Amino acid sequence: MSDNIIEVKNLYKEYDGGVKAVNGVTFHVKRGEFFGFLGPNGAGKSTTMNMLVNLVRKTKGSIVIDGIDIDKSPAEIYKRVGFAMQEVGLDETASAREMLQLHGRLYHMDPKEIDEQIARLLKLVELEKVADRYTSTYSGGMRRRFDLALALIHKPTVLFLDEPTTGLDPHARQLIWAHLRELNKQGMTIFLTTHFMEEAEELCERLAIMDGGKIVTEGSVSELLSKHKTKNLEEVFLKTTGSNLANEEVNLKASDPYARSRG
Amino acid sequence: MNTFFSDWYYLSIRNIKQIWRPVLALVPSIFMPIFFFAVNAASLSAFSKVPGFPNVSYKDFIAPTAIFTAIFFSAGNAGIELVQDIANGYFKKLTIMPINRLAIILSKLTEVAVQSVMQGLIVLVLLFAVGVRIHTGFLGTLAIFAMLIIFAMAWSCIGLIAALRTQNARLVQSMFILAFPFLYLTTSQTPKSLLPHTFATIATYNPVTYIIEGVRSLVLFGWGNPAIWQGFVVASVLFVVLVALTLGSFKKTLR
Repeated sequence: MSDNIIEVKNLYKEYDGGVKAVNGVTFHVKRGEFFGFLGPNGAGKSTTMNMLVNLVRKTKGSIVIDGIDIDKSPAEIYKRVGFAMQEVGLDETASAREMLQLHGRLYHMDPKEIDEQIARLLKLVELEKVADRYTSTYSGGMRRRFDLALALIHKPTVLFLDEPTTGLDPHARQLIWAHLRELNKQGMTIFLTTHFMEEAEELCERLAIMDGGKIVTEGSVSELLSKHKTKNLEEVFLKTTGSNLANEEVNLKASDPYARSRG
Repeated sequence: MNTFFSDWYYLSIRNIKQIWRPVLALVPSIFMPIFFFAVNAASLSAFSKVPGFPNVSYKDFIAPTAIFTAIFFSAGNAGIELVQDIANGYFKKLTIMPINRLAIILSKLTEVAVQSVMQGLIVLVLLFAVGVRIHTGFLGTLAIFAMLIIFAMAWSCIGLIAALRTQNARLVQSMFILAFPFLYLTTSQTPKSLLPHTFATIATYNPVTYIIEGVRSLVLFGWGNPAIWQGFVVASVLFVVLVALTLGSFKKTLR
C-alpha cells in the first residue's frame, strides 16, 4: 500500500471558452494526513477538489486515490471519498435521520451498520435531539455539521471539505474544528480548502497555496514560514499570491452590479 | 437485491415522499382539472346537440380530458423538484455516489407514475360520482391509467431536460405553461370533425390528441377502436425518445 493516498500529476482544467482554471498541478497527500489548500478566489482550489471527486471532468493529467485511477474506476473512488461541499446541499423535505438512512442505502451498507453509524454520527455532530426534524428548520451551523455527518455515513477513507466553516460563528467553527481533529486522530485523511489562515494553521499538517491555477508553494506551516522568511501564514499567502482578501472584496464588488448599486 | 434496482427503489421512496411534503402542494393539480371539467361541462353542455357531435353527453365527452389533465399537471413537478436539488447542491451529492445514473432518472419517473395514479384516481372517483361510466370496465380503467402513466413519465422528461440543461428554476417552472397549448390544440373539447381546418391540422400533429382520443375510446366506445393502440404507440415512442434525451442531458451536467 502506497504512503500517498492522493497522487495528482499534471492536472489541467480548461473550460469551454478557453478559461484555464487549473494549469498543471502536481501534488500528493499522505495517508492519514490533514492537508490544506489555500488560495484567493478563482485560484482553482474548488475546481481541483471537484476534479478529485469526479464532479468536474479533468482536461488532462492523472488522479489516483487510494491506489485507484479515477479514469478507470470512478465508482470505486466514490465509495472511498466523502465530500462536504461549499454549498450545503440538503433535501429540505427530509429529516436528518431519513437522509442519513437514504445515503447509507445508496452506499449499499448493511441496515444494522447504517443504524449504528447514524447513532454515532448524530452524537459526533451533536444533532441527536433534532435528528427527526426537517433539515429546512436547521440553522447555518447545524446544516454544516449535518453535512459533515452525511459525508461520513459510508466511513470514507478520505474526507474532502470545501470551505467547511464559511459563514459560521466562532462557536460553530470551533465545534467543526474539534470534530475534524477527532476524525483525523482516528486515521482519516482530510483534504481541506479554506480562506481562513487561522483555520489552516490550526488544523493542517501540510499546506499548498494555489494562485492562477498553479501551486505556488507547499509544505508544513513551519517549512513555509522559514522558506518565505515570514512571521505568519498570512504573510506567506500575500507574498506568494500577491493578493489579500480586502483586494478580492474590492474586485468582487467591482464586477457585481448589485454591489455597485448598493454602494 | 441488485444495486441498480436497490438504488432505484430507495431513490423512488425519497421522491415519492416529496409528493405530499407539503400536502398543500397537491391541491392545485387536483383542483384545476375538476374546475375545468365542472365549468366546461356546465357551460358547454348544449354543444352536444350540434350536428356531427358523437351520440354522448358533453360531460361524458370531456370526462377523459379531466382524467388526462389531472395526470398532465402532475408531470411538471419532477422537473421543478430536480432543479431545486440542482440549485441547492443536493444533486451534486447524488452524482458523486456509487449509484447508477439511470436509477436517478427512473426514480423521478416512478414518482411521476405514483402521483399520476393518486391524482387520476381522485378525479376518476369524482367523475363516477357525477355519473360518468367507463365503457370498457375495470380492464379499460387499467388501460387508461397505463397509457396516461407512460405519457406522464414521457412529458415529465421535458421538465427534467430543462432542469438539467439550464439549471434555472424560473425557466423550469414556466415550462408548466406549455401544457395549455398542447392540451387545447387537440380534440380535448371538440371532435376533430367540428374543429376549424387549421386547428384540425394542428391537432393531427399534436401527440396529445392521440392520448386523449385513446382514453376517450376506452371511456366512451369500446376495445375495437384503433385510437387505443395509436394512443399507446404515441405514448411509448415519446417515452423512449424523451428518456434517451434526458439521459443525454444528464451526462452533459458533468463538465
